Amino acid sequence: MLLHDADHKKRDILFFSLPYLTVYVAFMVFPVVYGFYLSFFDWNILSTKVFVGLKNYVEAFSDPEFLSSFFHTIQFVVISTPLIIVVGFIMALIAVRPTKTGRISETVFFLPYMLSTSVVGTLWAWIFQKNYGLANQLLKSVGLSPLGWLTDPSIAMTSIIIATLWWTAGFNMILFSAGMKQIPEEIYDAAKIDGAGSFTTLTKITIPLLRDTSLLVLVLQIIASFKVFGQVYVMTGGGPYGTTRVLVQYVYKTGFSYFRLGYASAMSILLFMVILLVSVIQFLRKPDETQ
Amino acid sequence: MKRMTGLAIALLLLVSTVSVGAQNVQKPLEITFWSLFTGGDGEFFDAMVKEFNASQNEIVMKTDTVKFDNYYTKLTAALAARTAPDVVVMHQDRLSTFVPSGVLLPLDAYAQRAGIDLSTFEQAPLNNCKIDNKLYAIPLDVHPIIMYCNLDLFAKAGITKLPETLSELFTAAETIQKKTGAEGIAADNTTATYKAYTLTRMFLSMLMEQGVSVFNADNTKANFNNDAGVKAYQALSDMVNKYKVTPKGLDYDSSVADFRLGKAGIHFNGVWVTGLFEQQPGLNFIAVKFPALFGTNAAWAGSHTFAIPAQKSIDEKKVMGAMKFIDWMTNHGYLWAKAGHVPTRKTAVDTKEFKSLPHRADYADAAKYVFPTPPTSKWPQCYDTISDSLEESIALNRDAKTALTRMEQTINEILKK
Repeated sequence: MLLHDADHKKRDILFFSLPYLTVYVAFMVFPVVYGFYLSFFDWNILSTKVFVGLKNYVEAFSDPEFLSSFFHTIQFVVISTPLIIVVGFIMALIAVRPTKTGRISETVFFLPYMLSTSVVGTLWAWIFQKNYGLANQLLKSVGLSPLGWLTDPSIAMTSIIIATLWWTAGFNMILFSAGMKQIPEEIYDAAKIDGAGSFTTLTKITIPLLRDTSLLVLVLQIIASFKVFGQVYVMTGGGPYGTTRVLVQYVYKTGFSYFRLGYASAMSILLFMVILLVSVIQFLRKPDETQ
Repeated sequence: MKRMTGLAIALLLLVSTVSVGAQNVQKPLEITFWSLFTGGDGEFFDAMVKEFNASQNEIVMKTDTVKFDNYYTKLTAALAARTAPDVVVMHQDRLSTFVPSGVLLPLDAYAQRAGIDLSTFEQAPLNNCKIDNKLYAIPLDVHPIIMYCNLDLFAKAGITKLPETLSELFTAAETIQKKTGAEGIAADNTTATYKAYTLTRMFLSMLMEQGVSVFNADNTKANFNNDAGVKAYQALSDMVNKYKVTPKGLDYDSSVADFRLGKAGIHFNGVWVTGLFEQQPGLNFIAVKFPALFGTNAAWAGSHTFAIPAQKSIDEKKVMGAMKFIDWMTNHGYLWAKAGHVPTRKTAVDTKEFKSLPHRADYADAAKYVFPTPPTSKWPQCYDTISDSLEESIALNRDAKTALTRMEQTINEILKK
């Protein structure tokens, strides 16, 4: 009878996960494998595929647009990742307080994350519009000269990062505050009795006990930052003159505007390998530190 | 038994009359199409299709999808799978991406069978739809770059003549700036929502005014790092850097907004903004063909065309129905002209309806001076790259030789692949 139940359970597990698995294989596993396969071909969808070996990969390393797009992506990752994590953490500190302000701020901080990329991009493109946008109106009203938020190559990427920060920090806040809520209250009570101030509690209790959460947030954030595309596409279109063009945008253009699918696939695989490498390094560090 | 037979005969008769009846109210032929008009011109297109459907009862045009955020991506996928609709709207400069793969039908024979008189078309845009001497699309319109002038600002600055040469253009722009405080020339030179395509469109037009095409004859190399290229680049750079009649860092939306709000004397853009400017109360403007800045007239133009995708098996009836639709649409181009576009068919231009539209007649002859985009599948990428490159060099105030040499290298690299 017991055995019978176990068999049923196995069957049920398979049965219930089948719809998800089908979709997952059809729209995730298959495209990834097929993309890898395509990266060795020249193909424009309408033509027959021509096998070219590693040519697409070789081309990437001598293509100035690929290299500059890659550089802009790294730039975005390096600046935005710590910023979004720290702001998300501070938001979480405010949001976990068991007060009314805490609960309200949690909602307020998380709201932007529910908006779609195009909404966020369009909204901030308006705010940063040079002649009619809100940001420059504010600058003018306090007597400062207006900035080319999206049209000046020296600050366009910063503007995109500001928009991204506003948009996504709330997600990290949710992860951090979930982690904070799991830290037993007794530890804080004990610390208080021992006379620890709030700064000491933060650095000696909250931050160390959030190590696992922090690692998760860090890896997720790095991956998300590497995949930056939508907000850049909507806000600057990669401009001015390609100075904010990021890798995924270049992949998209190459694949779906210029229809060089083999080359676009090869570039995606390169991006995938970089993300994989970064993630593996992060997770490998974990056991050493906790032991 | 006899009664049974009688009943059977009666039934048979009944059935046959019903089927005869059905034959009389023949079901109209359903033809599917995709179009890419989502902006202001979409309404005009839909109204035309509706009028076509109402004008006869043999054919019903059906659109599958209304809105496309990424028309060509979806169209390409559909063409590859041979599931594209019976007729599609396509920009002329995309033809060379599709034609070599055999996914579009050559239309010469069908046009003849459908009785479409091709000589009633303006020849320049029609010839632009030919590849290897075969017609692959029929142009609905051309939308050339033209010059918009704010007549109030011209009057205020005391300018009585529209600029026709390069020096007249800069003088007019400077005078307007000095005397009215408005911007001289609103021409976008920075990427925001769109790339700074106006720079490219002006550059290509100015090259062609000097008789020079942007690529060599077989589209394997750039052909602008020469005297004509230097003159064209210099004019654009001077406009921004030397005479400062165009603000640096102006993006497309701002350039349109500035002219619309009466803050700019001259504006370069495609004809598609005419409708928008017309709706602006108090804006007194004239729209004329791109001036012959280097002696002769030539204007970059886009062109919306109709093409017929190859299906798994060709249904002659549907193709002929589609041709009928194309014939009607091009003949009624004056309806389409309301959106600002220039009709390509003389039978549409020579109508009371077209001539009674304000502004359009002033630039209708621009259709005569349009030139084809280079027939290479690399064109979309080159077009983007030239825009980025011009934008960068003008922003950094590079000299012509440096700018053109850099741009030439990048373009040659793309054409080589």
